[in-house]
Amino acid sequence: MKKEKLFLSEYEHKELFRKRIYRFLPVLSILLLLCLWLLASSNPMSRFPSPAGVWERYLKILEKPIKDLGLLGHIWASLKRVFIALAFAWTLGISFGILIGWNKKANAIFGPIFTAFRAVPPLAWVPLVTMWFGIGEFPKVLIVFVGALMPVVVNTQAGISNVQREYLDIGTIFHANGRQMLFEIAIPSALDAIFAGIRNSTSAGWMVVLAAEMLGGKSGVGFLIVRGMDSGDYELCLLSMICIGVVGYLLAIVIQLLERIICPWTTKKSN
Amino acid sequence: MNHSEQTVRRLTDKERIAKVQSEKRRTAYQLTMLSIVGILAFLLIWQLAVYSGLLSSRYVPMPSDVIRLLFEKWSDPNPDGAVLGVHILSSLQVALTGFFLAIIIGVPLGLLMGWFKGFDSFMRPIFEILRPIPPVSWIPITIIWLGLGLQAKAFIVFFSAFVPCVINAYTGIRQTSEILINVGKICGASNFTIFRKIGIPSAMTMIFAGIRVALGNAWATLVAAEMLAANAGLGYMIQQGRSFARPDIIILGIVIIGTLGVIFTWILERVEGKVLGWKK
Amino acid sequence: MDNEKIKLRLEHISQSYIVNDQIFDAAVDVSMEVRDSEFLVILGPGRCGKTILLNMIAGLEKPADGKIRLDGEDIQGSDERIGMVFQKRALMPWKTVMENVEFGLKIKRMAKAERRKIARKYIDLVGLQGFEKSYPDELSGGMKQRVSIARAYANNPEILLMDEPFGALDAQTRYAMEEEVQRIWQTEKRTVIFVTNNIEEAIYLADKIVLLTSCPAHVKAVYDVDLPRPRNTIDPKFLQIRKKISENTDLAL
Repeated sequence: MKKEKLFLSEYEHKELFRKRIYRFLPVLSILLLLCLWLLASSNPMSRFPSPAGVWERYLKILEKPIKDLGLLGHIWASLKRVFIALAFAWTLGISFGILIGWNKKANAIFGPIFTAFRAVPPLAWVPLVTMWFGIGEFPKVLIVFVGALMPVVVNTQAGISNVQREYLDIGTIFHANGRQMLFEIAIPSALDAIFAGIRNSTSAGWMVVLAAEMLGGKSGVGFLIVRGMDSGDYELCLLSMICIGVVGYLLAIVIQLLERIICPWTTKKSN
Repeated sequence: MNHSEQTVRRLTDKERIAKVQSEKRRTAYQLTMLSIVGILAFLLIWQLAVYSGLLSSRYVPMPSDVIRLLFEKWSDPNPDGAVLGVHILSSLQVALTGFFLAIIIGVPLGLLMGWFKGFDSFMRPIFEILRPIPPVSWIPITIIWLGLGLQAKAFIVFFSAFVPCVINAYTGIRQTSEILINVGKICGASNFTIFRKIGIPSAMTMIFAGIRVALGNAWATLVAAEMLAANAGLGYMIQQGRSFARPDIIILGIVIIGTLGVIFTWILERVEGKVLGWKK
Repeated sequence: MDNEKIKLRLEHISQSYIVNDQIFDAAVDVSMEVRDSEFLVILGPGRCGKTILLNMIAGLEKPADGKIRLDGEDIQGSDERIGMVFQKRALMPWKTVMENVEFGLKIKRMAKAERRKIARKYIDLVGLQGFEKSYPDELSGGMKQRVSIARAYANNPEILLMDEPFGALDAQTRYAMEEEVQRIWQTEKRTVIFVTNNIEEAIYLADKIVLLTSCPAHVKAVYDVDLPRPRNTIDPKFLQIRKKISENTDLAL
């Protein structure tokens, strides 16, 4: 193979140099972050946990479970609540969203009430729900359900009511009846909006479950945080936060994969 | 088919316009009526359910009770220690401070990140790491760091509003049409001028979408923060309502939180309409 | 033209819209006849009236005045015997080529095996064998329109409406598609009403051309094109007709 000599103009030299710096910068920023962390934790005045401390805590929790559950056990406890709530939120939410998106009269009757409920942050329901149902599993799942329901309904409704006129015209020309218009045209056309709702509801659900656990409970990652706070075990707090971030990220990826499977046409683009 | 038949059959232009407009108004009227009926039916069923004992008034207050409490609480500091006005003011203070700070810092940051590659390479990884962590879980860390007080709450509210502002400003400016940028370059504009005059205006729609999300986040996080650690504010009032087994206080708090949220959204929409007026 | 049977008749069609509290006349007193298996082209400038006429025939809009008769009877709403090919957003992006083409048949609740067979026949007719499982976003503009044509044909319409189907294509593809349509039509003869603003395209394809004015549209002239197919666009007779029509055409700015 012949080795080719590159002759670069001055401009191209500068571009190349700049690109090399750009590749180096992310590393720099992460190092900076770590330095800040070490700095914050080495300050004798604050009790901010150090990276080493967090790592040790991680090892410790692998051996000694908290309230009979290891770290993974708590993560799974939280995830279980989210999954159950999401299952209900998606089925009910998508159906309801389709109803008020497709049928103008249903939208007129149920729309305003729903808008009113939607304006209330999901956590505001916690005191009411705990008052009615206590601090068990059901109230937690219920609150997550409420938090996850809203985005699904809103996005589904938007998707269904904004179906392109041209697609509906195709249905009219081919003589589709109302049901066929809905299932063959409106719903598939709205799928990307529905998935936006699903994505939002997943991240909302994950957030709400943590808050619900923080307000009372015996298991789950949110519980771990509060436990750490109460007992001065700040390493546990930070460890839990890292877990929360990682799990949140993984959930988002799973939903993305799900969308690719259900809607294979979204990834196909010709040049 | 001769011409005179046609002129006899056709209504005058004015009559046709009037006919179509009155039909439009009629449908709008019907739908509005349905909405009003829906809301009234909901309230009525609620009131009757509690009144008849179907739902215990220990757990569910009647709508009439809530309304009565609304008037009482303006002047009655019991049982949570403060009048309604104080709670509302406290919540507004924290929420709006955090919200506006988030916009002022977040939007420019997102724009800069989206436009200048060097800046982007530097800030990105920090951002990607911090993003998936829900604002709520920052609360304990913030409390450790800043203690229990206005600062901690404001920071959490700020952070939850900050993230969508940055993301949307970033996405918005990255979508700037290549064609428009090239037009700017051909006219001899500097990079910064193109950024200011082409990039930013075209990113405005996404920026506003981000601000809308930020508002919702800020309000929701505020409620959460107040429930976990505060001694005034609407979230705190709701928690107290629970402690004192007063569901009417809880519902009143929820209604006010919801109403304020709606008012903010409405204001934001009006502002957006003014700024983005050219979009029509 | 030896087949004298009139397939479709538009009688004194008018359409107007109310825009911002004012009446806007899109079409006034348009009448025309289409014979069975004839290729009729509606030629007109700019964005006026042509699509609206097609929409009324297809049943997507109701005319403010006048009647549309198919085989002598009035049409009510959208008739099953009429199919349509659109210019933009013609295909449903969430369905594969096969699913798009068989759409009309699925609506009619035909059994899967049967409708697959029919769909396959027309996919082959338009020259897209092998692309049955592709999604519209993977296809070029010309290919998408071919699928659109196959879909309309698969539903076995008696009249096929085509609304500026090649308007969004580049010139080369457009010429190729004109030949395609010509070939397909000669293989499977249907009554076609084709709308365009391109004079050459009109003369290349039509048995008869109806020239419309600009808004408010009415019939300016009707031309019979009696040249043998496939037509040569630089044949002197072709150019003669072209000159005649272009001198008579309203230009829209």
